[in-house]
Amino acid sequence: MKKLMTSQDLARDARFKRVPMQARALDRRLTEKQRDAILGKEGRKPRNQFSPEHPDAPDRARAMMHGIFVGEIQALEGAGRTCWDFEVGTGENEVPFALKLDMARQCWDEARHCEISVKLSDHMGTEIGEFGESAFLFEAACNPDPILRLAGVNRALEGLAIDVFNTMKEFGDKAGDPVLEFCEDWMLADEVTHVKMGSDWLRRGTENDPARRERALEFQRIVDKLFSGGGARGEEESSPIKLARRFRELAGFDKTEIDEIANLSKEALEEAKRAMAGAAKAYGS
Amino acid sequence: MATVNVTPQEFNFVSYDAAVVERIAEKLVRDVGLGDATVDIEIDEKTPLGRQRIESVDDPVKLFVEGGAFEDPTEPRHLTERGTADVLGRLLFRVADRRSGRFDDAPADTDMSLQESVAWDAYCMGRLERLGYDVRKPRRQYHFRTRHGFNDVADAVFERLWSADELTWADVAAACAETEAIRQPA
Repeated sequence: MKKLMTSQDLARDARFKRVPMQARALDRRLTEKQRDAILGKEGRKPRNQFSPEHPDAPDRARAMMHGIFVGEIQALEGAGRTCWDFEVGTGENEVPFALKLDMARQCWDEARHCEISVKLSDHMGTEIGEFGESAFLFEAACNPDPILRLAGVNRALEGLAIDVFNTMKEFGDKAGDPVLEFCEDWMLADEVTHVKMGSDWLRRGTENDPARRERALEFQRIVDKLFSGGGARGEEESSPIKLARRFRELAGFDKTEIDEIANLSKEALEEAKRAMAGAAKAYGS
Repeated sequence: MATVNVTPQEFNFVSYDAAVVERIAEKLVRDVGLGDATVDIEIDEKTPLGRQRIESVDDPVKLFVEGGAFEDPTEPRHLTERGTADVLGRLLFRVADRRSGRFDDAPADTDMSLQESVAWDAYCMGRLERLGYDVRKPRRQYHFRTRHGFNDVADAVFERLWSADELTWADVAAACAETEAIRQPA
């Protein structure tokens, strides 16, 4: 069986449609919020897109949960590949057997999350494949260094999942949707465990190798910044996805690390504004 | 014979075809009973957002649509015919309702509560489904539950609105009052 599979090799049935990152990156259109930010307009109170009072909130929640669903499939595939891609041993490209056991446990969790997500989609009136699939989670799980892989997937992306699940749990609570609220709460508990696994293996796997630890943390920073949604994750009232500090602490992040993630999101927002300013000039707004 | 004018005719930010939008809208105008109305559709292709509004219910009917409303969620910047019919069908049914005399006392769309707006949508989309369009009822039911409550009363009211014909604004308002009474008991 092949080792170190790429995201192009992932098996999907005809319902799923892959949306390459380039398709989104080449989109020159601006949201109103981006346009206002670029033009420096003030006076309009920003609204949280996941507040039940927002007219688009139900459809945004549906799209978000579909994104989570395909992310769960990829997390299952990624953890499964980590069990397979590396032999047991003490070399840089080998892993302790206990790490494989953790990944096997994560597979079990992710499989359950897939089933929960399918039923949640039904509940929210969403069809499987209604929205496009980005393969970014699995792409982070293609790193050939197991410690970097866990830093990128378990700490960065599963960390993002903590923020998203917490945001959607609050949306379910405010919208009076007990099914969404409880599904998110239960999956959130598992995500905290997955992030903690990433934090533990990062520490244990690099105890005597500070250079590797720094490489892993740098990879995590890159993934964190790339997938902060152009600054969509943050601590502002209008941030669609809230940084879940308390759950991140439970998952092994210290305050400095959480502050750094918040700052990375701010940086990503500023970079998105600068990039969009170029697009705004192009059509003279 | 209905006349539909789409602006712009050529798109630079998205791969939309004005002729496709015109064809879909012309059929809808006939189907919802607007006869030989003239409909002007302005599309703002510069935004991925999907808000829409009716700017005039009198001839020519004027609709404004942000480009994201017609976008295929599985293929960025490409139009989905199903989604386009979904959006335009809802708007045109609202136009037809306002022109029928049965919705004369309805507030302006901008003054309507989310509950009222979603209840009227359920009434519009149910009729669109019976005309043979793929409107994805479960999605509309989730919208309705989010605004009217996740309970049996809200579900029953949704079914009533969905399967109804020839309602008045008073009927829609009464449906909203019914779910409100359950959400906020006295």
